[in-house]
Amino acid sequence: MTHLLAASQFGASHAVTITLAMSALLFTIGLVGFLVRRNMILMFLCTEIMFQAAALAFIAFGRMRMDTGGQIFVIFILTIAAAEAALALGLVILLFRRKETLSSEAWSELHE
Amino acid sequence: MIPMLSITDTHADSPAHAVVTAIVNAIPSPELGWTGWILLLPAISVVLTGLCCALRVKSKLPGWITVLALAGSFALVLKLYFLRGDAGAPVVVHLWDWMNFSWGDQNKWHALQADVSLYVDSLTLFWLLFVTGLGTLIAIYATEYMEADVGKGYARFFNGVSIFILAMCTLVMADNLILLYLGWEGVGLASYLLVGYYYKKPSAVAAGKKAFIVNRVGDLGLAVGIWLIWVNYGTIEFNTLFQVWQDMERGVGGFDKSLIPYCLMLGAFGKSAQLPLYVWLPDAMEGPTPVSALIHAATMVTAGVYLIARTYPLFTLHPDALATVAWVGGLTALFSATIGMAQYDFKRVFAYSTISQLGYMFMGLGVGTTFGAAYHTLTHAFFKALLFLTAGAIMHGFAGQLDLRKLSGLRKVPGFKIVSWTMLIGCLWLSAFPYSAGMLSKDVILVQALGGKDHGFVWLGWIGLITAGMTAYYAFRVWFRVCAGPVFYMPGEETHDDHDTHDAHHDDHGAQIAHSAPAANSSHEFHPHAPRWAMNGVLIVIMLGAFATGIPGYMEMRGQSNWAQVMMAHSSAFAGSVQAHVTDAVNFGMNPHQLVELFGTIASLGGIAIAMYFHLLQRKSADKLRAWLLAHNSIRWIPVAMENKWYVDEFYHACIRGPAWIAGQILHFTDKHVVDGLMVNGIGRIPAALGRLFQPLYNGVLQGYATTMAGGAALVVAWVVYRWLTSGVGA
Amino acid sequence: MIQYLLLLLPIISALVIVLSSQRAAKWIALIGSTASLIVAAVFAVQFPHWTTGGFWPDLNTSPILGNFGVDLKIGVDSVSLMLVLLTVFLTPLAIAGSFSAITTRMREYYAWFMILEASMLLAFMSRDIIFFYVGYEFTLIPMFFLISIWGGPMRGPAAIKFFIFTFLGSVFTLTSVIFVAVRHFDSTGTWTFAIADLVKFSSTQLSAREQFWVFVGLMSGFAIKTPFFPTHAWLPLAHDQAPTGGSVVLAGILLKLGTYGVFRFALPMAPIGAVECSTFFAILGIIAILYMSLVCWVQTDIKKLIAYSSVSHMGFVVLGLFALNPIGLQGAVMYMVNHGLSTGALFLCIGMMYERYHTKDMEQLGGLVSKMPVWSFFMIIFTLSSVGLPGLNGFVGEFLCLMGAFVAEHDQPAGYPGVLGPWYAVVAAIGLILGAMYLLIMLGKIVWGSLREPHGQEHAQDHAQDHGQSHAQHAEIQLPTDLNFREIAILAPIALACLAIGLYPKPLLNAVEPCVKDALVNYPAVIDQYNAKRGLVNPGTPVKQAEAKP
Repeated sequence: MTHLLAASQFGASHAVTITLAMSALLFTIGLVGFLVRRNMILMFLCTEIMFQAAALAFIAFGRMRMDTGGQIFVIFILTIAAAEAALALGLVILLFRRKETLSSEAWSELHE
Repeated sequence: MIPMLSITDTHADSPAHAVVTAIVNAIPSPELGWTGWILLLPAISVVLTGLCCALRVKSKLPGWITVLALAGSFALVLKLYFLRGDAGAPVVVHLWDWMNFSWGDQNKWHALQADVSLYVDSLTLFWLLFVTGLGTLIAIYATEYMEADVGKGYARFFNGVSIFILAMCTLVMADNLILLYLGWEGVGLASYLLVGYYYKKPSAVAAGKKAFIVNRVGDLGLAVGIWLIWVNYGTIEFNTLFQVWQDMERGVGGFDKSLIPYCLMLGAFGKSAQLPLYVWLPDAMEGPTPVSALIHAATMVTAGVYLIARTYPLFTLHPDALATVAWVGGLTALFSATIGMAQYDFKRVFAYSTISQLGYMFMGLGVGTTFGAAYHTLTHAFFKALLFLTAGAIMHGFAGQLDLRKLSGLRKVPGFKIVSWTMLIGCLWLSAFPYSAGMLSKDVILVQALGGKDHGFVWLGWIGLITAGMTAYYAFRVWFRVCAGPVFYMPGEETHDDHDTHDAHHDDHGAQIAHSAPAANSSHEFHPHAPRWAMNGVLIVIMLGAFATGIPGYMEMRGQSNWAQVMMAHSSAFAGSVQAHVTDAVNFGMNPHQLVELFGTIASLGGIAIAMYFHLLQRKSADKLRAWLLAHNSIRWIPVAMENKWYVDEFYHACIRGPAWIAGQILHFTDKHVVDGLMVNGIGRIPAALGRLFQPLYNGVLQGYATTMAGGAALVVAWVVYRWLTSGVGA
Repeated sequence: MIQYLLLLLPIISALVIVLSSQRAAKWIALIGSTASLIVAAVFAVQFPHWTTGGFWPDLNTSPILGNFGVDLKIGVDSVSLMLVLLTVFLTPLAIAGSFSAITTRMREYYAWFMILEASMLLAFMSRDIIFFYVGYEFTLIPMFFLISIWGGPMRGPAAIKFFIFTFLGSVFTLTSVIFVAVRHFDSTGTWTFAIADLVKFSSTQLSAREQFWVFVGLMSGFAIKTPFFPTHAWLPLAHDQAPTGGSVVLAGILLKLGTYGVFRFALPMAPIGAVECSTFFAILGIIAILYMSLVCWVQTDIKKLIAYSSVSHMGFVVLGLFALNPIGLQGAVMYMVNHGLSTGALFLCIGMMYERYHTKDMEQLGGLVSKMPVWSFFMIIFTLSSVGLPGLNGFVGEFLCLMGAFVAEHDQPAGYPGVLGPWYAVVAAIGLILGAMYLLIMLGKIVWGSLREPHGQEHAQDHAQDHGQSHAQHAEIQLPTDLNFREIAILAPIALACLAIGLYPKPLLNAVEPCVKDALVNYPAVIDQYNAKRGLVNPGTPVKQAEAKP
């Protein structure tokens, strides 16, 4: 616990704690969603949620250390997420066209 | 003045070293730079004959290029000899730097200096004179002998001869041991190329290979000797080495100095075909006969004698070294004489006689008369070259016939008169006929041996005398069979000589089914091919040379000094050059001189007489004797073993080549299945095996992978949190 | 800036080749590599430190990885330059030697070849250990493709084994390098990967234990590349399956990367480690010499025979290197160059014969001298050079390597004590006999004797299809019975170089000498200490005592 207290000494401790908790929550939601859903678009959205959770954590830590680097990285992440979203949705559409289904179980050729 | 030296305590009282002078420091002589042309001329000839080979010159041009180059070298050697005289100080002529570098000052041990530079003293000149002289003569002979190959192997043959003379001159003129090693291997290369000249004959190819490889065993000894010398003396240049040797008698290196002579003698035994490395020389007779005369009789095989004479001072480093040389030489002489007596191929008889005579030379070196050894080298060079060249003329004339049972009475065959009579001279000289040059030089060695006190040299002298009798027998066995008696001849089947190669050249697909077989079978259709002027002329010149080699001995008998002795006395071979006073040693109430004179004459004449009985007067009785020997079980091994060369080749094959070959097969198997198969591929299989262990985790379902990943991440996080908490509690 | 030109030329040629047509590819490659040769020749003429030692050009370039001290420093000393010259000399010849052998995907082949040249040059010319490593490892990629696309029937496994095996060892080499760099950072606070700095730091500041492990790490990569005895398994297969050009470069230059690494990094960086391991590695070298000679003896495939003989010959280099005295090191460096020339040439010869007969089996071939006299002439010359005949180049290195090992004793008066000794050299010298034996037997089988040729041409065509070459393409190239002008022009320069080095090795020996001294600067003291531990005391050299008196 001393570590947490020490961290709070950087200032604005409560806000950071709450934001980090929010980030963890988001990540968990995304992860659970990714694991339990079979719809590829939903799975993809879940990965986006996890992504944003990470971005949120960046902001929180940046705030904690009073360092703008965290926010700069978030902008990076957003940009890359946008590019990647376009790519991933394109791929999903491609896969859909092949097998006329969005279920991820249709694609399991990697197994031995 | 450099004071007189006593060499070692054990040898100080030995008569061989009764009079010892110091080795004179060599004079660097840049003004003698033209001596480089002695080497350069054969080198140019190598290039030009090589070009002739490439351009497929269809004339005798390459032969005459070689003759001219060698004659030029000989002329330069003569010029050098007359300029310098018998007794001048050694000179060093530096041509260019070769393996030369230093890692400190230029002192001993801080530099390796092996340059292409020449060390010329009397010993060098002695060898150079007969190497270039005989080389020129034999090249002239070969221009005619090889004429059937003009446009085919002719240029290649003379290319080989030029390489040989180049390497041989390098060998004897080298001023350091590594350059000597270059010449040493160079003559080996020439020998390899020329023995394998008839490359379509498997036996010739095998013989060339055998010569090179067996020589390599000796070369290994020479190489180790060179390293030992460097470790102990810090230099490998002869001049510095001799000076250091005179000044310094203490060893610095960690490896025993006394091994040096044994290593060097191994090299000498290889090159000069002594026990146990003589096996390559008889096989080397597969080469064209001029090659046998030049390389395998007169010059190359004496390189071992030269090496020991050159490094003679180092042979005093161990008290038994010279005795070993003597005994090996003596036993080789006896051993190969026994084989020579039972061979039917007369070129092989001469080959074994060469080994035997070389044995005498080593005996001479060993018992302490380098002069005797060198003198015998000189006389032997002439009479043995003469014998081989006559053998070549007969092969040339009778389609490669070499079996002495199938030729007879050649002296009455038209065109073979000169051949027969020069061969007689050669045989007389070989059998040490009284007052022939061969006898004069051999007696020097035998007298020295019989006068020896320790190491059983007296026994060695008797072995030498017995061998002399055997030598006379087998020499005249050949002459009486081939040149005397009724005229009778059967031509060879042309597979023993070059003629088969001509046919093979026409027919590239190796189907050399004897084109000339019909001619070969019926002797009445066959016309011997008599030698012409080049061969006859050379035979006569060499015969005169053989007479001339007796002159130093006659001069000695008249109380003047022997030329060979003077030459040796003014070189590094000095240590044994001055003939010891041996008159005090007495056997049967005679001193060694009288002993050798009496028993030598008996042996020589006795041998000739026995040969005359068995091979001229009562030829059938020889066969009867053989049949009688074979009929008795207790003694039948004698002729069988002698005719089969005492099974030495078979012994080596079974004991050295066989096991090594099996080892090769085993190691190849090991390499394939243990090193590569078990170790390398085995290690390669480990990741694959691990992969199969974790395979069930990868079921191909996306969520499955995600679960694994998340689970793994959770584990890592849990571990980090756990560490954090526990360390937090501690703090 | 000429050094960058030298590096860039092959890369530029590779790019041009990729953009050009299939037919033009080989000519561009030949022109590009010849231009490299010319540039390297100019470079060598300008090089001022032939006999004085030291690096040139001595430029400080801007660090390209900022804080980590990695610098694209290019400069050579005379040993590097000799190997650079060997590289640029052999590459055009190997390219010209591929003209008729490579009939498919020519653009890729020659582009990879030029990239291979560039990476070898980078490895030899880099003065930064990371860039050395980059060049050293990057050679694997082009070589992998050369073997796996244009190789023989077993090319797949051969390429994979070659890649993985050599890559595996290099990982440890890199670890050692990084360890030394980190220790350097720890003690000085600055990052550097400059060879000179790391060598100086490592050889003087590291403890004996650290040096030992640094040495073992470095050697694990270099030993596989060289290859040393038990790690040679990749080599026969890779050589056997590689196309002719690939074999030439593999045997001629790539193997030297290993021994160059030992000479440039392993020995100077960790003298204590090297001395402690020297007997071990020398014994491995001797085993390689003898074991491989015997294995060569029973080979029936001529290309495999030469490949195995390479391992045997590298054993001499190993012995020379671990003699740890100037004679041995001189010999080792000379041997590297000479082995590159003679073995490279032998592979070229075998390739030329293979293009005509489509077999490498010595049981099917024989007596080729009556059909191909010119080819036989070259074959004999290069075989004799390989045998170590004095007067040809092979002898110089071989003799010095053995002599170096022979004189490496604790009480050597040369100022350079050693830990090997006469017996090592004497046993290794048996390799002289065995070497002559298997090489002359090879000559006896394929060059001499009566003519034997493989039966039937159909067989040859089947074989060609095995190689992924279509029948039609194969028939396109007609070769004369004996060598054509192009092939003679490839072999003649190598033969001349062999003869020239054999007769006048002095310039090379003089050039190597200062580098050898630099590499050995710490050794006499370390070896004396090591020997003292074993109870062997160097009595001191007479020369040293003489110097002490005044």
